[in-house]
Amino acid sequence: MMPLEVEHLRTAYGPVVVNRDVSLTVHQHEIVTILGPNGAGKSTLLRAISGLLRPRNGVIRFDGKKVTGRPAAQMAALGVVMVPEGRHIFPDLTVQENLRLGAYCRKDRDAVEEDIRLMESYFHVLATKRGAKGSNLSGGQQQMLAIARGLMARPRILLLDEPSLGLSPLLIKDVRAVIMDVRAKFSAAVLLVEQNAGLALAVADRGYLLQHGDIVASGVIAELRDNRLMHELYLGHGRSGKASIRGNQ
Amino acid sequence: MEIFIQQLVNSLSVASVTILIGIGITLIFGLAGIVNFAHGEFLMVGGMITWFLVTSGLNFFAALLGAMILVGALGFIAERGLFRFTLERPMNGFIMSIGMSVILQHVVIRIFNEVQKTIPDPIGKVWVIGGVDIIAMRGVVVALTAVVVAITYFGISRSRYGMALRASIADQDTAALMGIPVRRYVTGVFVYGSVLAGLGGALMIALFPITPFTGSVVIIRGFAVSLIGGLGNVGGAVGGGLLLGLVDGLSAGYGFPEWTDAYSLVVMIAILIVRPQGLFGGTLGPRST
Repeated sequence: MMPLEVEHLRTAYGPVVVNRDVSLTVHQHEIVTILGPNGAGKSTLLRAISGLLRPRNGVIRFDGKKVTGRPAAQMAALGVVMVPEGRHIFPDLTVQENLRLGAYCRKDRDAVEEDIRLMESYFHVLATKRGAKGSNLSGGQQQMLAIARGLMARPRILLLDEPSLGLSPLLIKDVRAVIMDVRAKFSAAVLLVEQNAGLALAVADRGYLLQHGDIVASGVIAELRDNRLMHELYLGHGRSGKASIRGNQ
Repeated sequence: MEIFIQQLVNSLSVASVTILIGIGITLIFGLAGIVNFAHGEFLMVGGMITWFLVTSGLNFFAALLGAMILVGALGFIAERGLFRFTLERPMNGFIMSIGMSVILQHVVIRIFNEVQKTIPDPIGKVWVIGGVDIIAMRGVVVALTAVVVAITYFGISRSRYGMALRASIADQDTAALMGIPVRRYVTGVFVYGSVLAGLGGALMIALFPITPFTGSVVIIRGFAVSLIGGLGNVGGAVGGGLLLGLVDGLSAGYGFPEWTDAYSLVVMIAILIVRPQGLFGGTLGPRST
């Protein structure tokens, strides 16, 4: 059974085409990454899958059912949940309210309360900051809250958009552990979009390399790591270059 | 002192109508970015419906309920049939609402006429409280508004729907990612605002005569209130409404009735320049990534 299949997806903002023809799959309990330099169309692809952006063409299937063009609220209810780039914590809501909203589409109220306890025991900071407003959390804390909020929906697949963005190397290590646990402890598949190749290659089973909106390489991580294009793309982009690929092996 | 207290109650009853319309405006704009200039006409239509039902022999409070339901339905039709299509282009929606307000005025003139309408005081009693005569209906208007404000406030700050509404006002896209059907909330808020406008119209005609053009005066005051309070902020609309109501009522009571409208608008302009986000903090419109 394949939870998520994307076939020949085409996305655009107005007249500007971003992804021309993208196909990918994420199997159950798999961690798959989409890599690529800034502006490669990774986030747009994720927005289309999450339902925030209506694709121009192509098919998205979830559990074998066609879900192309469904609005984000419906996708979340189906179990396809995105944690957006930049966290997007609701600033005026408390940490606990943020968590509770994550479970908005669930009907099992009692289990939701249990899950809040579960998140608080897993992410300790959320317990200590329970009543604090979202805006009073640090970047790293907000990222943990954003992932926990996504997990509150009990997703079948979690779409993570640049979870390492703006975090210190130490915090990125935490994020890495959390992503591994999304699968292990919360039994969800993960589709991870990352500019930080080191992080992505360290956690993912498989990956797709995106350039100018289209997939230019794909495969299991060991293959992808040695791919010539991969090195060219990341060498050509200074800061997130070769060092970060090697650095986290 | 007696005159002061009477003026205070009068001001509060005028403020009530403004607050009722201000809550609708502030919520609709805060969530959907819709600047609905026809919201004042919704209130006028509510008053006209109340007048029609009362002159047809219905009890005032039954007529009030009728006005709330019918104006709520009008709001539903306007949102689903018109504003839904301009959500991406708020300016078009704004222009459309101006057109709609003129059309509604003329529809009302066509059905009835342009003459001002009044109904007899629904209660027709005077309460004597601490030696001060207070027209009972004015007290009822203030009390009903207080109840509506309390329900709205607690609904938004305590309930699950209110939490989802606040989240949607803050960040529509992210709210949708949580599974919140933001579009349905837009419809819900639009209908709720319209119901309050219907209530405001019914209460208004219980106090003053109204004409088919009453809406255009009320809408300016409604926007003033929501801008002063901060758009999207219900508590702010209440605070702004009280402020304007008191400025109005007291200035009218103490010798400058012809300046009444100018005062409130001067307050609005001053606040918009000094604090564009309103006195109590609000949104600058819906945000999305």
